[in-house]
Order: sequence, then C-alpha cells, then structure tokens
Amino acid sequence: MTQLLLFNVTNGLIIGAFYVLMALGLSLIINLSGVINFAHGGFLVIGGYLAYALTPALGFWGALLVAPLLTAVIGLVVERLLIRRLYGRDPLYSLLLTFGLAFMIEDGTRFIWGAQGLPVTVPDFLNQPLSASLFFITGYRLFMVAVVAVAVAALFLLLRYTRVGIRIRAGTLDLETVSTLGVNVGRLRSLNFAAGIFLAGLSGVLAGGQLGLDPTMGAGLLMPSFIAIIVGGVGSLPGTLVGGLLIGVAAGVTAVFFPSASDAVMYVLMAVVLLLRPRGLMGEEGLMT
Amino acid sequence: MTDALTAAGLHTFYGKSHILHGVSLNVAEGMITTLLGRNGAGKTTTLRSLVGLTPAREGRIVTFGQDTTRWPPFRIAALGVGYVPEGRRIFPNLTVEENLKVPNGRAGDWSIERIYALFPRLAERKSNRGRQLSGGEQEMLAIARALLLNPRLLILDEPSQGLAPRVVQEVFAIVARMRAEGISVLLVEQNVRQSLAVADHAFVLDDGMVVWSGPAVELAADETRVRTLTGATAEDWEGAAPRVLPAG
Repeated sequence: MTQLLLFNVTNGLIIGAFYVLMALGLSLIINLSGVINFAHGGFLVIGGYLAYALTPALGFWGALLVAPLLTAVIGLVVERLLIRRLYGRDPLYSLLLTFGLAFMIEDGTRFIWGAQGLPVTVPDFLNQPLSASLFFITGYRLFMVAVVAVAVAALFLLLRYTRVGIRIRAGTLDLETVSTLGVNVGRLRSLNFAAGIFLAGLSGVLAGGQLGLDPTMGAGLLMPSFIAIIVGGVGSLPGTLVGGLLIGVAAGVTAVFFPSASDAVMYVLMAVVLLLRPRGLMGEEGLMT
Repeated sequence: MTDALTAAGLHTFYGKSHILHGVSLNVAEGMITTLLGRNGAGKTTTLRSLVGLTPAREGRIVTFGQDTTRWPPFRIAALGVGYVPEGRRIFPNLTVEENLKVPNGRAGDWSIERIYALFPRLAERKSNRGRQLSGGEQEMLAIARALLLNPRLLILDEPSQGLAPRVVQEVFAIVARMRAEGISVLLVEQNVRQSLAVADHAFVLDDGMVVWSGPAVELAADETRVRTLTGATAEDWEGAAPRVLPAG
C-alpha cells in the first residue's frame, strides 16, 4: 500500500512537473500580453516531433536543446505574423486565433509525421530503474524532474535579476509606463512569447521521451495547465508552480483510492480554491478585474 | 533661443471624443514651462500626445528637431524625453532598485548611484517594494526613474498631487534644480501659485485650446486672470508655501 501510494505520488509529481512547465509558459504570455494561448499544446507537439526528427542527427542531448530553441523560433514567427495584431483587442480574438492555430498544428503534425505514435529515443542508461523495489523511479523520470527544476529555476533567476526580466515583471502590471521609459514593448512581448514557447517545446521533448509522441498529446496537457494557473493565482508565477505540482499530486493520490476520479479531482480542487480564495492561492487581488 | 519641443495644432481623440482642439505650445530649451488649466481642460491629454501614448490625429510635434508626431513612446524616450505620469505609476510589485532598472535610456551622467546621492531616502528604501512607499517617496522614485533616461526634456504631470506641503516644497526644489542641470521642463500642475513661481513661461488650456500664453511672471501678477483662466480656488492661490524664486 505504501509503495502504491509512493508510486502514485511520484507519478503525480512528474505529471505535475509537466503542468508546471506548460503553465509557466502560458502564464508568462497571459501576464504580459493578455493572450490566452490555446495553441500552447500545439507548440509542445512541435517540440516533441522536432526532437524526433533531430535525434538521428544530433543525438538525444542535442535534440533536447535544439528542438525547444527551434520551437521558440517558430513561436516568434507566429507572434510577429499573427498574435501581435491582436494585442490590446478583446481577448476573444486571440482565443479564437490560437484555438484555430492549435487545430492547424495538430493536423499539420499528422500530415507530416502520420497519426500513429512515434518514440523519442532516450539514452539507455536513463531508462534503467534505480532499484528493484522502487522500479517505477527510472533514471529518465528523475532526469525529467531535474530538467524541469533547472528550467524553472533559470526562468525565475532571469525574471528576478536581469533587466529584461525586471521589465517583463514591470510590464505585467503597467506596460504603458514601461514604454515611456524607453523600452520597446513590442520586442519585449516577442521575447516573452518566445520564452513561453521555449518552455512548451521543452515539455514536448521530455514528454516524448516518456510517453512517446502523438499529434493530440498537447491537448491533454493544456487544460490541467490552465487549472494550475487558476489554482495558483493568475499573475503569480510562483503560484503557477505550486498550482501545477498540487494538481499533479492530487490526481496521483486520487488514482490510488478512486482511479476513475483522478481526472475530475483537479476540477474539484479548482472549485474549492475559487470558493475559498477567488484570486487563487498566490494571486494578486483585483488583478484580473 | 531654440525649442526643446514645439507642438502645432494638435487634435487628439479618445475614441470618438474630441479632446484637444488645435493645441499649440512650445518648451524653450533650458527653461521651465508650465501648462495650467481647470480639471478636464486637456492637460494630461496634451502630455500623453507629446510622449506618444495617445498620438495626435492632426497637427505636428517636433522634439529636438525631429518630427515625433507618430513615434511610439519608447523612441521619444530614447531622444531624451523623461515623463513622470499623473499618479506616479511606479511599479508596485518591484523594489525601488528594480524600478530604477526598468528605464532604457541614452548614455549620460545619471546612474543609480547618482540617484541615490540626490535622493538618500530612496537609497534607504531600495529593497522595499513600490507599494510600500509613501506618496512623497513614490514621487521621488517616479522622477528618479525618468532621470535615468538622461533626459534633455522632463515632462511632469501633477507631481505635487496628494503630497504633504513640506514634500511639495521638495518637489518644486527638484524641478528648479533640473533647470539648473540644463534640463528643459514642461510642468502640469494644480498648484498654480507655486508653478507660476518656479516657471519661466506659462500656457493656459481650456476646453482643449490654449487660451493664454506668456511669461509666467505676467500671469502671476494678475490674480483675477489666474482665477478665471485656471479655475484656481482661493486655497490653491493663497497656500501658505513660500515663493520659490526662478533661477537666472
């Protein structure tokens, strides 16, 4: 029983780490640009498939770095061509655009790589279980959590200590004033969007190594990521981090006792948080009114 | 004498409402120019047009010899135009030091160290968040932030609003000091008496038009005219604060 619980908590943490990576990217984009990016899951898929395509040439390690970077470049092009036209308009427009984009990416992937699942080949030593009793903790799972931890730490350090990061945090609350202080906010938004998409691409590579690739894999991770943002509190990146881990673990633990409710539990969690604390666990009061 | 900024015939709209009806004004280099007028006269809108936040639909703005009428705010700032907005608009979620790292200005003498030397209070509070500062400290921070652009022109929108009289004195002393540094100043104020005391030139706006312009001393000498033009109440006019003499 203890082992079963441990197994599911570990599973939950790992799934939660994915939610965190996805949700942080979504949060960055919502906070600075007010765009709810429904195509975020699509960029995850792009990252995964790029890794699949690049692995023969670059190996797993090369793909791990290059695939998210290429995904970010694609994100940058999409932002310049499409998304930036919608800044300052009713959020409904960006919702519709990114919703359509998500379908286009999914079908584009299916067209290029086919509908059947594909693997991202992971180095052998990462696939070994650490011990016989803790068979479910493979090197790769630990590795995923480590990569997510490093990416999250790097993001927080960049936002805290670099001028660009400070400007992004300032712009979250008052982009107009940032622009009068000599900052090219168009470029700031592009950079911020690309950073968010980089995180989506990275989740895609990591997820591909664990679960394999499939054109619809992004959609399944998107909704929990939104829930992570809401539970943590819109506008707060630390909140998003906590929210993602929390719903991951909650789903994992529920799977032990009441497997069929393991998906529903995150919605219940969200409802409870919203009832008790409408701005989310760490959200700023009145930010989204 | 050259102008730091010249605006001619500005027509500015918020959506469909026509706010400015052909505003023309100039800021002489190295001088303090004050823009007065009752509430709703269009003072803030004029400043927003000058810094690119609400571009004028008609008219022309020349800033340091360049036609900046349709420029985005960050390019106007890069020319050396510092803007201290109404209500200060400091970043409440950032520390004082982080607030000072947002500006992306031209190269020049102003550095965070020099800011701390001029405003020791900000140095003491550098790790505090913007939302924890008093109104006076927030105003100092907003001015400091604009100075880090190494401005040649400083545009201030009601810097003394909501501040204690002693702090108001400090703010006007800083404005006078900026002129001594060679920075041209455009000052919008409700505190009519003090702004006329510190300014060289004055413009009075009403209903989106300039209804009076001339030397600040001339307007200051005519109390009745000030009251009719700016809607200044007796309290604004007869405030207990001592007169700040313009330099030069």
